[in-house]
Amino acid sequence: MTLNILFRRAFSDIKQNLGTQTVTTIVVTLSLLIFVFFSFLYFNLERFVEHFGRELGVVVYLKKDLPPERIPAIFSTLQKMEGVKSVVYVSPEEAYRRLESYLENETNVLDDVDPGFLPPSFELEINRALFKLNKIRELANKVARWPEVAKVQYGQEWLHRLEAFSQLIKMIVAAGGVLLLLSAVFVVASTIKLTVYARQEELEILRLVGATNSFIQGPFLIEAFLQGLIGSSLAVGIIYAMYTYTRPMLAGSQLLRGLDYQFLPYTFWVPVIAVTTIACIIGTMFSMRRFLQL
Amino acid sequence: MLTAETPIISFQGVSKKYPPNHVVMSDVNLEIEKGELVFLTGPSGAGKTTLLRLLFRAELPSGGKIIVDGMDLSTLSRSQVPYLRRKIGVIFQDFKLLSNKSVFENVALSLEVLGLRKEQVKKRVCQVLEGVGLGHKMHQFPPQLSGGEQQRVSIARAVVNRPPIILADEPTGNLDKIRTAEVMLLMHELNARGATIIFATHDDRLYKSSPGRVLRLESGNVEVVS
Repeated sequence: MTLNILFRRAFSDIKQNLGTQTVTTIVVTLSLLIFVFFSFLYFNLERFVEHFGRELGVVVYLKKDLPPERIPAIFSTLQKMEGVKSVVYVSPEEAYRRLESYLENETNVLDDVDPGFLPPSFELEINRALFKLNKIRELANKVARWPEVAKVQYGQEWLHRLEAFSQLIKMIVAAGGVLLLLSAVFVVASTIKLTVYARQEELEILRLVGATNSFIQGPFLIEAFLQGLIGSSLAVGIIYAMYTYTRPMLAGSQLLRGLDYQFLPYTFWVPVIAVTTIACIIGTMFSMRRFLQL
Repeated sequence: MLTAETPIISFQGVSKKYPPNHVVMSDVNLEIEKGELVFLTGPSGAGKTTLLRLLFRAELPSGGKIIVDGMDLSTLSRSQVPYLRRKIGVIFQDFKLLSNKSVFENVALSLEVLGLRKEQVKKRVCQVLEGVGLGHKMHQFPPQLSGGEQQRVSIARAVVNRPPIILADEPTGNLDKIRTAEVMLLMHELNARGATIIFATHDDRLYKSSPGRVLRLESGNVEVVS
């Protein structure tokens, strides 16, 4: 049996049932479209969280009564720590100057205040490759236990909230994706089942003249393959078109804080198309099982 | 291995029962030689169709053994059934043609399942349709044909892949005298070319005027009439 005959039969079937085939493909596209759209949002949100998190540094406040000769040793230890890219020392005087500059016209509030009242501190820039919230937390907790250190700050609350939100979106996208994929497979398998019911007489005759199961099933599997492939590719294509259309509008937006807005990587959308196509084929095989029992 | 003396079809103690307790065949022993024309007769419900269905393994016997062209149908695996059916052409009283496919496409189905090339299919289908006198109607659809013509299409589909065995289940049941005579003529031609034919009918005029063995199915047993 040649593939040629199976493809010829499949295309002849598609031509005869073009309406049903088109509707099934559209349903696959719509199901996948929702999933790909939310994945696209999640992908960019995750990048935004990561980008913004990298911008946040870690500030190590030292105790006010710390002897100044201890400072170089602490500076050197911090510099050697894993994940620390750079360390800047902020003396009490420098901190006071920054405060003055921040207050601008309201500096009179500092009139009777000692310029050395602020504690000395270190500002740590974190290595981008290392950035992971739990790593920063580990580093901060470790430094906070040193006897010379009064307090460590790294925008905990902000990052925790952002990370929790990002995780929630991830779960919604993953669960939604599975449900939408299942619904697409269900629609394809049901359509094939209905087509098989409608063509039971033909299948009976095919069995009678000695058609093997693969000969009978082949054209239906080709149809499912095409529905899965075209439906999912269209969904990815529509989101890509939306991305290219909106990208110039969002370029340089304050909202994105200079972050480049990106399309989903091929390592995501190629497997999505492949999984949808394979799932449609498997769904069809299951829906045809009963009809193939001789 | 099938030798010249080995029957092409053999029933050995075959029984067939349907639940709850309806016996259609009991301990049937029967041998049909290669190239034989056998008429299978008996009243309606005697089991003529069941016997034919057992032969192309649409059904399994409740007991006994059936051998067709060297294949033991009781032990035949599901994947081997299509290969058995390629050795058997089946003709039905209700033609079983696909109304949305042309005469050519209906007949071509039997060759497409064999994986023949498009040109080979075309050549053989045209030859067979010419042989049954329908060469000029190959692009028409079954509903556009008379009953006799539809039965000839059904015969063409059954014989186009040159099977050694032809099973005909009341093929003239829906035809008038003239069309019946045409179908009988075709059957004799096929038999003369070497095909083994089992022809189920309850019309005694058909076998009285034809050569061939006549078997009668009644009360679950097969008896030789002539």
